Amino acid sequence: MEEKSEIRTIRTACPQHCGIDCCGILAHVKGDRVIKLEPADFPDERDRRICLRGLSSLDITYHPDRLKYPMKRVGARGEGKFERISWDEAYDEIVKNFEKIAKEHGWRAIGWVLGGPGAGTTKFGAYLRIASLTQSTRVSAWGYGDAGLPCGSRIIIGHHFPYIHLFGEFWQRKWPEMLIIWGANPAEAMPLQTMRKVLDAKESGTYVVVIDPRFTVTASKADQFFGVKPGTDSALALGLMNVIFNFKLYNKDFVLEHTNGAYLVRTDTEMLLRGKDVGEKKPDAYIIWHDPSNTHKALRRKNVMEACLTGTYVINGIECKPVFQLLMDLASEYTPEKTSEITGVKKKNIIRLAEKIGTTKNVKFFTYMGFTRTYHGDISLRGLISVASITGHVTTSFSSGYMPPILNWKPFLKVIPDKPSFHRLGILSLYNAVIKGKPFPIKAAWFAFINFLNQCVDSNKIIKEFYPKLDFIVQTELFMTPSAKFADILLPVCSFLEFSDFCHHPYPYVQLQQKVINPLYESKSDATIISELADKLGFGDYFKGGEEALIDLIMDHHSLDNVSREILKKGASKLKSIPDGSNYRLGFGTPSGKIELYAEQLIEYGEALPVYLPPIEAPITPGDKKYPLTFIQGHSRFRTHSSFANVKSLLDMNPEPFVEINPIDAMARRIFDDDYVTVFNDRGKTTLKARISESVGPGVVNINEGWWIDQFKEGSVNHLTHDIINPVQEKVYEPNMHMNDVAVQIKRWEDSER
Amino acid sequence: MSKIKHFGMVIDQERCIGCEACSLACEIENNSTEFWIKVETQGGKAKDTPAGKYQNLTLNYLPKLCNHCSNPPCVDVCPADALQKRDDGPVVLDQDLCTGCKACMKACPYDVIVFNEESNLAEKCNLCVHRIDEGLEPFCVICCEGQALHFGDLNDPTSEVSQLLLNRINFQLKPEMGTDPLIHYLPPKPKRKL
Repeated sequence: MEEKSEIRTIRTACPQHCGIDCCGILAHVKGDRVIKLEPADFPDERDRRICLRGLSSLDITYHPDRLKYPMKRVGARGEGKFERISWDEAYDEIVKNFEKIAKEHGWRAIGWVLGGPGAGTTKFGAYLRIASLTQSTRVSAWGYGDAGLPCGSRIIIGHHFPYIHLFGEFWQRKWPEMLIIWGANPAEAMPLQTMRKVLDAKESGTYVVVIDPRFTVTASKADQFFGVKPGTDSALALGLMNVIFNFKLYNKDFVLEHTNGAYLVRTDTEMLLRGKDVGEKKPDAYIIWHDPSNTHKALRRKNVMEACLTGTYVINGIECKPVFQLLMDLASEYTPEKTSEITGVKKKNIIRLAEKIGTTKNVKFFTYMGFTRTYHGDISLRGLISVASITGHVTTSFSSGYMPPILNWKPFLKVIPDKPSFHRLGILSLYNAVIKGKPFPIKAAWFAFINFLNQCVDSNKIIKEFYPKLDFIVQTELFMTPSAKFADILLPVCSFLEFSDFCHHPYPYVQLQQKVINPLYESKSDATIISELADKLGFGDYFKGGEEALIDLIMDHHSLDNVSREILKKGASKLKSIPDGSNYRLGFGTPSGKIELYAEQLIEYGEALPVYLPPIEAPITPGDKKYPLTFIQGHSRFRTHSSFANVKSLLDMNPEPFVEINPIDAMARRIFDDDYVTVFNDRGKTTLKARISESVGPGVVNINEGWWIDQFKEGSVNHLTHDIINPVQEKVYEPNMHMNDVAVQIKRWEDSER
Repeated sequence: MSKIKHFGMVIDQERCIGCEACSLACEIENNSTEFWIKVETQGGKAKDTPAGKYQNLTLNYLPKLCNHCSNPPCVDVCPADALQKRDDGPVVLDQDLCTGCKACMKACPYDVIVFNEESNLAEKCNLCVHRIDEGLEPFCVICCEGQALHFGDLNDPTSEVSQLLLNRINFQLKPEMGTDPLIHYLPPKPKRKL
């Protein structure tokens, strides 16, 4: 037995890219070695937690394959041949290449490709700061699967995330009567912050419905599971609205007060009717049809509740309809029969679900990023929020609870107030910037906390067209990932136990990811690397004090003035609370300040209403197609995206990738359990084991994302995906990668190919 | 109320999400070579697959570990007296006394005693007696993602475990064996209609 006195404990937080889970961790340290991790205390003991992945973290810190020192590529890109160099040599090489490229193409041609920082903040902030100072390009990684949801959210409620409005109260343990989990699998992706609460809610009586193409672990815990065909969610939303309208189950007061449902729309131009159209004093005023006076009026706070939601009106010869009427007209096409045909959800279930949403007092909707990883994923989210809005199930204010956290991002986003900051490019737009030089050329890329080749769409395109066009590639990594092999300079970073960062998760807490041990080998944290590089580039003054100073900087916001670093060293700190009984308005950031059931800026795209548009590739209707199966990518409890894929203890439980295929599709192709099969389309192929399972319906196959390319017999999930850009998403925010909108075929892996 | 503690576990299938954190937590805490607690899929043939036809499906998980029987067959058959039933409940295997004869493995009706191929000795869950002797809960319990594992004193009627057994339908594994395990299970709740 070890002597207890030799062991000290340090409280830290796991910042992995499950992000919002951000478990508090108590690290046991003996000498300079961490010997054990356990769940740390939280102010509310119900929040004490750790997950399977977090438990395995020491296998990452002490992994024999850790990158140990800076390296320079000596073989061909992708070959994985490197030689050891010193940090000084690495920095000199980087500065030399950056300055050469900047001289020819400007600093804009240098892109910082920042993946998922998880719950970490300053490791991300450090990069923003150097990008801002050098006026180079920040490549945002929202677009690798996480831009569809913000697009939809920005359109309909004017905020990047809809979470606080849809389930903020749920996260505060105010259990609803009914919870609809739509296109999300928190049991595996967010087991603690969300799934544990789903179980708590259900135990207290909440009725739980899961809508998903896959029968996930989350679905197995629900009272009802409705299987929906991938990419048809906005049709389902319209089908639900159809029933809600027909049975008059909508919440008229809520629609009047909080949405633009009463705003009149011109039937000729489809634009909202404005004051200038009808001779009102305020030219931009929205116009409503005023019920008591039976005439049109400019919208005012006083008359908003007296507006008509339905009807057709002619004002000064202009025919108009309220937004709500247009939504009703659209939904009227989506009868339960037709909706069932499109979505695969049974007719009676559509009717019953809609009735229940319309008649239940408190319904919360939970969704996350996977829901919007189809070409029209942004509309899926708008459909979901439209259903929640017309029935009054969107939270507009808190009467108690906790303020959302706000961090001091300003000194990172724009370091010198009177100078221009960085350029911005979405990660899917990066493809064209590198390959075609549009909208501007990117010649050098620094990849940080991203396994780009593994996790981004169309691997063959990346290998054949993208990487060869880059003059210079830097990657910071823990391991020789499939992407790291393509770096020119490869820099070793710390595991989370070896550096400090500030974490603003899980809601309603903030935590310190406290350094537990010194960096192993020659590894450094991203923030330290950037601080040292900044010195070489002449910006050292802005990084004095390294990562610790950056933490102080990001915490410097009045919303956090109840916490200090000293407090956080001991444990998580709760955010400021909202006084009980107050009316803390959450507000909407749209042009009208309301939930915009009708989005005027999308008229030209035919998407002003949350219309149903079929998936761009997923072959959801049966027929004689070359690629008849829809390919989707679920999440696995064994990985956080591609992190943990190389951890032995987890591989013991889950040794290799497999494709889930319905018995009907398997039988038609003479595929049996554990057979090797090839999944393919025109872009590429991958070979892996088959798992015959009813968890997917006929016509749909699933491979959990995150496995490294080397772990497949050949190819990978992203050898199948495409880089098609949705122009609406490009206009509103940034284009998303549509990993769940892909067509494939499957065949047995034939002996001849072995 | 009896002053002698009698520890046991209540495992709630309604809350088990099959994550296997218990398996890994146990392996880390006890430095075992094989999992002493394994999560069984109740559904289709392969791990994590459901039973039924698409849309009408069921999937449940059943964590299995040493049942810490009140009448433990393993204790009776061990020729080396390496297995002891403690007064406070746990059935503990003393590795220093174990000879690796595997008699306990054959006697156990639950197939939860494993063989360490490196040491050539038997291993199993000891209900983290090194922790409970210090007033701590077993490590698997505090690492359970779904909070499906409950540990406590079955002799104390006010304990969480006693209350769960009082208020919820519960069962033991293989009751016909007469082993009377201290590991109790709460079955999944029936699905409610929409």
